[in-house]
Amino acid sequence: MSTAYALTHPSGGAVQVPAHERVVLPNGITLLVVPSPEVPLISFHAVCRGGPLGDSQPGLASLVAGLLDKGAGARNAFEFVDAVEGAGGSFTTVTGTEALSITGQFLARDQALMLELLSDAITRPRFEIAEFEKLRARRIELIKAAKDSDPAEVIGTYGRAMLFGSHPYGKPAGGSEASLASITHRDVLDYYRAHIGADRLILVFAGDLDIAALKRDVAERFGSWRKAGVSAAPVPEPVRARGRRVLLVDSPDSAQTYFWIGNVGVNKQYPEHAALDLVNTLYGGCFTSMLNTELRIKSGLSYSARAGFTRTAAAGEFAIRSFTDTENTATALDLSLQTLMRLKTEGVTTEMLDSARAYVLGQYPLNFETAADWAAALVELEFYGLGPEYIDEYAAQLRGVTLPVARGVIDHAFPNVEDLVIVLIGDAAKIRRIARRYGELTEMALTQPSFSP
Amino acid sequence: MKRIPSSIPASADLAAAPPVSAASAPGRDAIRSTVLANGMKLIVWPVHNIPNVALYNWVRAGSRNERPGITGLAHFFEHMMFNGTARRRPGDFDKLMEAQGGANNAFTSDDVTVYQDWFPRGALELIFDLEADRIANLAFDPEVIESERSVVYSERRLCVDDNNHGYLAEQVQAAAYVAHPYRFPTIGWPQDIRSWTLHDLQTFFRTYYAPNNQTLVLAGDVAPEEAFALARKYLEPIPRQAAPAAVLAREPPQLAERRVVVRRSAQTPLIQYAYKAPAAADARAPALSLLLSILVDGDASRLYRLLVEDQKLIIDIGGNWHEGFDPALVWLYFTLPEGAEPEAVQPAIDAELARIAARGVSAEELRRAKNLVAVSFWKKLATIDGKAQLLGEYEVFHGDWRRLFDAPAQFERVTAAEVQAVAREVLDVRRRTVGVLLPDPELELEDA
Repeated sequence: MSTAYALTHPSGGAVQVPAHERVVLPNGITLLVVPSPEVPLISFHAVCRGGPLGDSQPGLASLVAGLLDKGAGARNAFEFVDAVEGAGGSFTTVTGTEALSITGQFLARDQALMLELLSDAITRPRFEIAEFEKLRARRIELIKAAKDSDPAEVIGTYGRAMLFGSHPYGKPAGGSEASLASITHRDVLDYYRAHIGADRLILVFAGDLDIAALKRDVAERFGSWRKAGVSAAPVPEPVRARGRRVLLVDSPDSAQTYFWIGNVGVNKQYPEHAALDLVNTLYGGCFTSMLNTELRIKSGLSYSARAGFTRTAAAGEFAIRSFTDTENTATALDLSLQTLMRLKTEGVTTEMLDSARAYVLGQYPLNFETAADWAAALVELEFYGLGPEYIDEYAAQLRGVTLPVARGVIDHAFPNVEDLVIVLIGDAAKIRRIARRYGELTEMALTQPSFSP
Repeated sequence: MKRIPSSIPASADLAAAPPVSAASAPGRDAIRSTVLANGMKLIVWPVHNIPNVALYNWVRAGSRNERPGITGLAHFFEHMMFNGTARRRPGDFDKLMEAQGGANNAFTSDDVTVYQDWFPRGALELIFDLEADRIANLAFDPEVIESERSVVYSERRLCVDDNNHGYLAEQVQAAAYVAHPYRFPTIGWPQDIRSWTLHDLQTFFRTYYAPNNQTLVLAGDVAPEEAFALARKYLEPIPRQAAPAAVLAREPPQLAERRVVVRRSAQTPLIQYAYKAPAAADARAPALSLLLSILVDGDASRLYRLLVEDQKLIIDIGGNWHEGFDPALVWLYFTLPEGAEPEAVQPAIDAELARIAARGVSAEELRRAKNLVAVSFWKKLATIDGKAQLLGEYEVFHGDWRRLFDAPAQFERVTAAEVQAVAREVLDVRRRTVGVLLPDPELELEDA
């Protein structure tokens, strides 16, 4: 490029974990406090270890999470949400792969109310039977609605079910229509007693906080809370899929074929995670990635083609996700596999690595702009037992990634083209013969009340 | 959208509601603006908490500026603007930006097309060069045009053809207007996506991508004078063009309810209501935003509480107001459980909407809506992206970015009587279009 200005060396990325306090309460609760007075907002992030790992039926933990704020302490379900939203606050329960979380944000003036609501939801949920039945029925219908209108979103749940099978990561965290229907109110009460307790809880507060009042309120409201009935079990490492398996989910009027191609990747402790981020940026992370270049930029086959790793306590999935017009199904699948093959055989170049490095470094600070961002980041460090160096030294690690290290990551973390689980959502009558070419074929209907045959 | 599926309905949810005590928004005194000799306006909000900058370029071109036969062209441009110039090959824009640490996206609505870049401060000059180059020298390579048509068609299949909400909204929008171009889907009708000509593209570009039809907003680690100097170097030489012809179409008053029924492969039925509503700059805007919040914002909102929690008739609910240059629509959408009959559910929704028009809202409801608006304002102001977006919205849709900081007081002043008045005017069944999506039993039989 012939321009008059000098291209600067990649800068940015030098993010430092802000000063914060970490205290472990006698009952095992880990408390983290990050002051940040820039705007008059306060955020919390409460995480309880286990989540769906403790499910007797898929979706149980997720129902428990959804019920925590449907009546707690002195408030019924409406009074609770009215207290949250009346103050302009937010209070969201989320079910992850191996945790239940509650996140929220309030105006700083409502700190005492926020603490009261959070502690009531966690330590004094009512679990009223009418609320349980209502939520369970609604969740079942919401899954049907998602299958009607959002194939690109639901495909990941089919993919994980096919890939991980009976391993806990294979169960749909939000449950399926069938599994939710089998859950009883008793199951909810049992789960709460066994899997939610002080020894599993991480509490992070960030923002324009009154710290003395916060510590006092946390001690008062959480200090004498009980532990969970059972201790959190470690997650076994899943086994990588060998050979090829294909699941075809029939959606007879679908205009496109949605596809998910995956295998078991690496876990949160993966030592070369900086190199992994660079290689995946090049393969399927950024707009000009190999995958998006082939499927979108050069061929116009798809609006979007991406790939990525889910890194959890045990190895989560690596997955390629895209979609294309039904008649181009084979072309898009072939291109995706050829691109993976090219990464595995040819690797990446120094120039590519430099570009990805600049990109990841340049975008990194945008993840740590607000107090809520820091609450989320510190929860992640604490949950996975990672030190502040995970963030502080990330930029230096990115700068240190060499071609041989990238090669090692490609060999180790990315799956072989011969070993893949492929899920297609599309018009089976039109793509069945194509699907068969890619491996041993299983079929199910999109309307079937589950995510696996 | 370049990467992320369009919101549903296609009209973007612009001009998010602001609120209380923003007079004290930190750093607002440092905001500077200037107008280049070619008519392009720049607004810069320097913020130095992270070493990054957010840039929003607001182009006053949307599906409102289209006509039958070229629908979707504004959105197609949003894609073409990344596909090469006289100086740079297709793909170079993204490659160069990523290699300097920048990322980008864009979105198109009925009114505007907005280009966004997020980058480390060291890439500032490159970004100005790239942005100026595509405005001054956009190339129209026939092969690239054909390839990008397929990409847009894939986006359409994702957001409309394979999405029941999107499909129904497109039909409702088309039925709600008889005269105004707001009836066109932003993504474009299928046949139009296939048939734009090179001449259509060149004409549209020359008319709407003139510098005097764009407003550039930057927020982040940048000094206003530094940005202004780069703008003078890269953007100011681009010649001004004649102002685009004004959109003169005015939608005639709607006299009776319209109804659209579609049958699709589905498990869950849908209902959508689209009411005729005022333009973004209307004096009733704060009251209308608060009304919408009272109706559908959060689990304590009127309609959620009544229809989802108490009567269990609905499983999901939403709403938005298309705040445009011209009077547009207020949308309410409802997802029903499998087996529910929309005709049996509609009276319950209508009774509650009639009640709010007849009896108004409580002081508690109004307080809640004002507080929700206040928090969402502060959340946006907490990021450079939110700052750039809000400044741009107020400049483009309200005529002056400074009005952003008046908005909180305007919201605070809204009374319950004003909310009731706007409910009476807007929630009028004669001025709405109802969309219903029913599962098609014949399609089900075919499946079996």
